[in-house]
Amino acid sequence: MSSVYVSIDEIIRVEGGQVVATLYRMTGQLELAEDSFSEAALEAIRRWPKDGLPERPGAWLTTVARRKALDTLRRESQRPKREEMAAALAAPTELDVHTVRDDQLRLVFTACHPALTQAAQVALTLRVVCGLSTVEIAAAFVVPEATMSKRITRAKEKIRANRIGLRIPPDEELPARLSAALDVIELVFTTGHHAPVGAGPTRVDLIDEGVRLAMLLAELMPDEPECHGLVALLLSTRARSATRVDAEGEWVLLADADRSLWDHGDIAAAIALLERTLKAGRVGPFQVRAAISCLHSDARSMDETDWPQIVRLYDVLLLMSNSPVVAVNRAIALAEVDGPEAGLMALEPIGSQVTGWHLFHAARADLLRRTGDVDGSRSALRAALECPHNDADDRLLRARLLELP
Amino acid sequence: MPEFVALIWEPRTARDPQRPDFLEYMNGYTAFGEIAGPAIRGGAALLTDDTATTIHVTGGQHGEVVMHDGPYAETKEFLGGFYVLEADDLDGAVALARHIPAAWRDGGRVEVRPTMAM
Repeated sequence: MSSVYVSIDEIIRVEGGQVVATLYRMTGQLELAEDSFSEAALEAIRRWPKDGLPERPGAWLTTVARRKALDTLRRESQRPKREEMAAALAAPTELDVHTVRDDQLRLVFTACHPALTQAAQVALTLRVVCGLSTVEIAAAFVVPEATMSKRITRAKEKIRANRIGLRIPPDEELPARLSAALDVIELVFTTGHHAPVGAGPTRVDLIDEGVRLAMLLAELMPDEPECHGLVALLLSTRARSATRVDAEGEWVLLADADRSLWDHGDIAAAIALLERTLKAGRVGPFQVRAAISCLHSDARSMDETDWPQIVRLYDVLLLMSNSPVVAVNRAIALAEVDGPEAGLMALEPIGSQVTGWHLFHAARADLLRRTGDVDGSRSALRAALECPHNDADDRLLRARLLELP
Repeated sequence: MPEFVALIWEPRTARDPQRPDFLEYMNGYTAFGEIAGPAIRGGAALLTDDTATTIHVTGGQHGEVVMHDGPYAETKEFLGGFYVLEADDLDGAVALARHIPAAWRDGGRVEVRPTMAM
């Protein structure tokens, strides 16, 4: 077991989500579950280097964390239901695979509960499921640590007060709850893949956390095709990440990417997974987006990309979710099939919904330039610069402005 | 006998157990209990609006529940009534509250908030 991990820190982090999930079931208190796990982690850091790695680090951590939780409960004698919880903690725990699965699922659904804002869902998922520190999460989303800390604390308070997540959502609520969790995971990934603001255009940690979370959810809910769709989408997108930015941290356009640097192993894995998943015949938006992403990743060049098929897939996607972002992407693909004028016409009706999105204006600027409308392109680039964007976006947009005749 | 509802509005800091006169604050409510006596037909202390969730159901009574974090920010609607519901957790409460007509018709909303354990 030890050989697959790089360090004790990583073992603790990888096992952490499951330990917290189990403690949450036993105590019904997220804060207590987390604190007990933190104490167990400290003890592991102290003891493992001397005593050697336990055979099952996860079980070791769970046992110690359980003991810590019991100690805390004994100290705080006024807590209601203390006896009940103490009994649950004292019971011997040889955790079977189903219990572990349910515990983790419950934790994911707790963190992604729709009664929390999405910003809080994302922060809490990274905190309790992925085990990232508040400092790391604050840095990833470029907000002050105090703000992030308050956001997480408030979310936990709300969870406690409303007794959220002490049971797995019943079947009739599952589709909505699952879709919220999938959205959160995707948001973790996209924040890493295209940072909204700040110096670094991509944030590798969040990309990998997103993939890890998607794989976890697919493992926990193997019968849900959309979970696998999300994995295929994220894997095939991450596979292109080596050419997203160059050595200087500047964006590399898809047309200029050296496709030999892409992770062709992951691309093949994503395609195989998607093909298996589509056989279930329950197609959802993530599967369609995975198909689009796989077509991009699998193409040997821009010219050899199956643009007509991509446009058709965007049409399907628009029927499922009438999102202006999808409509913009469809227009870009359409321009590759029918020319920039067709793309511009497709952009026309959605403009008012996406005026604050820099990529809409950037896409429009590119199409206008290709039709020879230099002035139009220039003002579209200026509109893009007015929208929120990261530093690399800024340099790219300004470089394009300078390139115009 | 006609019945009336008395809604309590106070600053969030009023019920802070750390305030020096917290005991006096609590005693005030105990004293009210004695003054009103059997006229009190029900009631509950609510947790702060930090714990509130506002719901509405789109597409008719059996449509989809949309939840918003936070209390209902009153604009032109008025407080039309309330139920005290017994449920295991927020999900259980929402599963009931979604059927209150204000949740699914006339552009109304239903705010769901836990009561304080007494």
